[in-house]
Amino acid sequence: MSSLIYIVDDDESVCRALKTLLGTYGFEVKVFNSAQSFFDAIPDDEPGCLLLDIHMPGIDGWETQKRILDSGSKRPVIFISAEKKENGIDRAMKLGAVGFLQKPVNGQTLVDLINVASKKTTSDNK
Amino acid sequence: MKKNIKWPLPKKITRSNLEEQVRQQKDELLVRSGQLKQGAVREKLGAVREKKGAVREKLGAVREKKGAVREKVAEEQIHIRTKAMESTFVGIFIIDAKTPNFPIIYANQYFYNLTGYTKKNVIGRNYFLLHRPDTNSQDYEEIKQILAQGKSFHGEMLNSRKDGEKFWSLLHITPVRDKNGITTHYVGNKTDTTLMKQRDLEIAQQREELLHVTRVGKLAEFVSSLAHEISQPLTAILAYAQAAQRILEGKNPQLQEILQFIINDDQRAAEVIRRLRVLLKKTKPTFEPLDINILIKNTVTLMMPYITARNKIITLELKNNLPSIQGDQIQLQQVLLNLISNSLEAMEESKDSHEMMIRTSCTDNSTILVQVIDSGCGIPSENMKNIFTHFFTNKPDGLGMGLSISRSIVEAHGGHLDAKNNLELGATFYFTIPINIKKDQ
Repeated sequence: MSSLIYIVDDDESVCRALKTLLGTYGFEVKVFNSAQSFFDAIPDDEPGCLLLDIHMPGIDGWETQKRILDSGSKRPVIFISAEKKENGIDRAMKLGAVGFLQKPVNGQTLVDLINVASKKTTSDNK
Repeated sequence: MKKNIKWPLPKKITRSNLEEQVRQQKDELLVRSGQLKQGAVREKLGAVREKKGAVREKLGAVREKKGAVREKVAEEQIHIRTKAMESTFVGIFIIDAKTPNFPIIYANQYFYNLTGYTKKNVIGRNYFLLHRPDTNSQDYEEIKQILAQGKSFHGEMLNSRKDGEKFWSLLHITPVRDKNGITTHYVGNKTDTTLMKQRDLEIAQQREELLHVTRVGKLAEFVSSLAHEISQPLTAILAYAQAAQRILEGKNPQLQEILQFIINDDQRAAEVIRRLRVLLKKTKPTFEPLDINILIKNTVTLMMPYITARNKIITLELKNNLPSIQGDQIQLQQVLLNLISNSLEAMEESKDSHEMMIRTSCTDNSTILVQVIDSGCGIPSENMKNIFTHFFTNKPDGLGMGLSISRSIVEAHGGHLDAKNNLELGATFYFTIPINIKKDQ
């Protein structure tokens, strides 16, 4: 079962903290401070769930998700943003995201959603 | 022998009596020489006198006739002038300045209409006693002082009608002097300015509302940015605390409890921000067809008191017959308000710059260009790339939100807002707005 998680967020502290938290659940976590550095490092077909911030300099979260979708990648994406849930969730779902969590995010809620996303990808790949 | 002739010596020889004296002497000579009887002379003189009398009488009749004509003309003029005074829409009154209590001796019909008082209330009474106790008596003291100095009074004030209803009026009181320069009367006129005043108040209120919308808009945007900035560390704190909790699971219960308190407080802070955001939720813009020129004129009307108070001049160069645009009136007005007040502030610093201009033009068939050109201090080149960024400001009391909000509004309308320094003086902020194509089809 895939337990690889990518985090793209321009805030280093957020990345480090989420990595620490998800580490306690046994996930392997790779963090990136920009979408560009993520695209540069990780091929589209490499498995793993993406936790994606929205408001970032350069390529923002919406644009990142669009590119992933356009590339044909099946990577599950969970938006984690300070944006209000009611503003972002519809747009996120329309773009094919697995979910949308408003910051600050509760660890257990996040892990539950990651597990849903992983199951979804596993079943898609079957 | 010749008898000495006694010449009647005239008391005083004047041009008018000289001829008569000569003639009398001639007559006397004739009488003395026996050529004329004294009685005949008297008769002759009598006839002359009679003739003179008749002429005088005739002249008198002519004069009388002339006088009658003159009187008639004067009467007509008085009639016309009184009629005019009675039918004018200005309240006119005359005060007798020679009588100690300064009574009103005349007031025209409009004065009664305006004040609600009747002739009985007014004639013979002092003008200043004609006010209700709730009227500002300081105004009246000021008027009395000015009149005592022999000057005219001119001012706008809030008055009460007899029934208590308030009205605004423009009052003029001028002394009327006789040929010796003594003030004999005062003539006053009172114009009802309530409607104009109401309009002024409405404009002021609209401006306040718009400024309030702008402030609330700025605050909402500010809180939104703040919420975003704060939620990042709150996210990190929560994640760290929960991670620590999991690592310590089943161990140190005291530390576990402390971590739970950290988590609770983190969530409390997040909740405060969430509620603040709901409170300042921005209303959704409503898009409708708009005439950008009218919008500019209305906004400038609202800003006019600020512009004139700063001794600045604003010129509008609006292109005629521009096609309509699709937009939110309040939001676009907010943009204009912001650009105008920025220009005014930029011109505040340099004393020599007074003029600014708003120009509209049609760049191509699909876009309208609005330029706000000032003659102020311009934008320092190192600031040029930052002026549209949140929280960037070089004003001591600025929030750094105005231009960033303005840009986001213009972009939400499908246009673009930018700035450049002018070749000579000041800066130009300009934005484009697409033409309302749907409506024109």
